[in-house]
Amino acid sequence: MPKLRHIAIAAKDPEAMAEFYKKAFDFKEVGRPNGVLADGVFLSDGTLNLAILKFKSDQLGKGMDYTGVHHFGILVEDVEKFSQKLERLGAKHYIDQGHGGQQAGYFEKKFYGPEGVLFDIAEHGWAGAEPLPAEAEAAE
Amino acid sequence: MAKLRHLAIACKDPDAMAEFYKQAFDFKEVRRGDGPLAYGIHLSDGVIDLAILRCKTDQIGKGLDYTGMHHFGVLVEDIDATAKKLEALGAEHYMDQNENRMGAFEAKFYGPEGVLFDIAEHPWTGSAALDETKKQAAD
Repeated sequence: MPKLRHIAIAAKDPEAMAEFYKKAFDFKEVGRPNGVLADGVFLSDGTLNLAILKFKSDQLGKGMDYTGVHHFGILVEDVEKFSQKLERLGAKHYIDQGHGGQQAGYFEKKFYGPEGVLFDIAEHGWAGAEPLPAEAEAAE
Repeated sequence: MAKLRHLAIACKDPDAMAEFYKQAFDFKEVRRGDGPLAYGIHLSDGVIDLAILRCKTDQIGKGLDYTGMHHFGVLVEDIDATAKKLEALGAEHYMDQNENRMGAFEAKFYGPEGVLFDIAEHPWTGSAALDETKKQAAD
């Protein structure tokens, strides 16, 4: 089964917000993304990637001043297969995103699901996120 | 370590939205609730409780018409100790909720920039317990 492995929060000050969650819940900092879409801090609870981001574009249509939980991400076995399935179910493909360097191999596709709710799917997990159980077993 | 175990989406039609996520990702429906705060459907991926809610109050100051990501929840070992810690760090306690939660109890806080989150000691329906994580880690 696909797994929820990523939650993104839109913040004005990702640094200060990340500091709060590190102190409050002992989440670990696992990266500092600096991309076309957003800058910020990646935290991990050992299972999920919690991305605290300052966005550079209005992906939600709620304006650049929007702060709050922004989107989530689901780890799937096969991005292409799931893309087709999502489009069949009426989701709208928004954008593909890949990173080189530190996160080589990382790639995600963003979709708008029902009521315009934005989510990502990825085959290779977000920084600090646990792989799918089957992958973990296969790797052992 | 505390664990992210709950994610809530605000929407107008929870039934239709839940159906989409069930079909798309094979998430399982674990509960339907209709409480003072929201009507909603809870799905599970085996680890996280995904709550798809039609909210009855404006908890995040974005109006009752707001649709989109709403809040998240963190499972902690000791809710009272964590609540004290959160307040010491500047979070604002919003409310406690125990209605219709099958033994579970959660406290809601506003963290930095007014972002709403819950803490709970007992797992949300369909979500993994802290112990299971420890067990998985030990395996």
